[in-house]
Amino acid sequence: MSSVKEILTRRPVSATIRLTVPAGAARPAPPVGPALGQYRLNLMAFCKDFNARTQKYKPDTPMAVTITAYKDNTFEFTVKSPSVTWYLKKAAGIELGSGRPGHVVASSVTLKHIYEIAKVKQSDPYCQYMSLESICKSIIGTANTMGIKVVKELD
Amino acid sequence: MRGTHFFKHLSCISSWRISSQPRRLIHGIVPSPLSQRRLSSVFRNFSTPSSLPTTHLLTSPYFSVRISCPKDSADMLSEALLCFGASSTSMDEQGSDEGNDKICIDSIFSDRQDVDVCISHAADSIGLKELPSYEVRVGEQYDWIKKTQESFCPVEVTEGLWIVPEWRTPPDAHATNIILNPGFAFGTGEHPTTKLCLLLLHGLIKGGEHFLDYGTGSGILAIAALKFGAASSVGIDIDPQAITAATQNATLNNISPNKMQLTLVPPDGRTHEVVEGQRSNSMGVTTESESFDVVIANILLNPLLDLADDIVSHAKPGAVVAVSGIISEQVPYVMEQYSPLLESMSVTEIDDWACVSGTKRRGLTVN
Repeated sequence: MSSVKEILTRRPVSATIRLTVPAGAARPAPPVGPALGQYRLNLMAFCKDFNARTQKYKPDTPMAVTITAYKDNTFEFTVKSPSVTWYLKKAAGIELGSGRPGHVVASSVTLKHIYEIAKVKQSDPYCQYMSLESICKSIIGTANTMGIKVVKELD
Repeated sequence: MRGTHFFKHLSCISSWRISSQPRRLIHGIVPSPLSQRRLSSVFRNFSTPSSLPTTHLLTSPYFSVRISCPKDSADMLSEALLCFGASSTSMDEQGSDEGNDKICIDSIFSDRQDVDVCISHAADSIGLKELPSYEVRVGEQYDWIKKTQESFCPVEVTEGLWIVPEWRTPPDAHATNIILNPGFAFGTGEHPTTKLCLLLLHGLIKGGEHFLDYGTGSGILAIAALKFGAASSVGIDIDPQAITAATQNATLNNISPNKMQLTLVPPDGRTHEVVEGQRSNSMGVTTESESFDVVIANILLNPLLDLADDIVSHAKPGAVVAVSGIISEQVPYVMEQYSPLLESMSVTEIDDWACVSGTKRRGLTVN
């Protein structure tokens, strides 16, 4: 919780930058370079920080990063794991969801896949206070909207 | 060729054409095509083959698009743009006294064809009634490269030890000054992990040691060891750009090649064949595998865990091995992996970063 003093002395923000970077593979080249370089942010510090913090994800998973750049050229960033739809597509082995969800089934995933995805999502900032069960339910809901069937076991 | 010359000429560049062959970037600055003679003399120095994909990314222009859209849909539009193919989006903070309800999003694309399609898809997907107005500008890689270079300042790591960028004068001419031009390799001296390793080296090196910098980046640790009095430094890395940057930095600090060797190694950890082969060639002595008095690896958690055996195997029994590039919460994993190999382990920390060091256990079987 921020104290009143912290809020009063909060640094002025100069910009909010969003981009997608593969986990553990940030380099000062594009896309990181142009996006952060414009605001004179320390590219090396960001790359090292981002790579160290994304070590626990599978290498090259595309992570959504939101960077808040302050006027004094310092920055903070938060990292979100890929969207549930991305994970489901990977688990189901398909590129696109079904064209007619509810009517046409694109592919299927097992409950174990759902559980694994929920475990990864639990470390996301906005899911931390949700129980694993409710995260799973939400993922199953997303799977239904994509036309992906959830089965007990794959045969 | 010193990098300072390029700065004088770069100020008069407005645009340049990409040459047909991909060029290796020198010190992170793209040279001007103003003088062919100057260009060719520069490229003469670089015989290492360029890694094609990165060089292409760094020489091709990118497209910066400024989109004007209503304030309350700006966040959603940013996210949608990323989904549909933008490389990145950024929003400048508006002053609270600005009356209008429009905000500008700057988005970067690598391919001109994607821009119109992406923006219309993104606008549709969040339900905007009309296509937002936007303008496309071509940006040169040099723009942001130069800006980041400008942000390097001399750093005092500890009393009497400064890391100075190539284009600045050292604030204290009598201190130990390491001149650096990091290019695209890691290690400017500002990062807490670099500081932790430099402080450790400063305390360890008494004179005459053989040092191995595992994952050398810009070569900063290898150079520092020699400046502190080590007999020789070997720097290895899996990234060709790192080896290039480190070689240039060694020259900047007037270090002769027989004191410091820099070698590219394969990423799978088979470093021994390369390291030992090099040493026996130049030193004229056949070496056993355990030949270094100090080994430091400032990389990342996963390689540190996977390559623990390889890293420690280069050290003499009783020699100091230190690893960094880890955040404090990752220290337990490192301790667990390294405690069978090292004893008297200790951890130093700056901010949220840690460095774990210990001495190699005697009596370990050598693979």
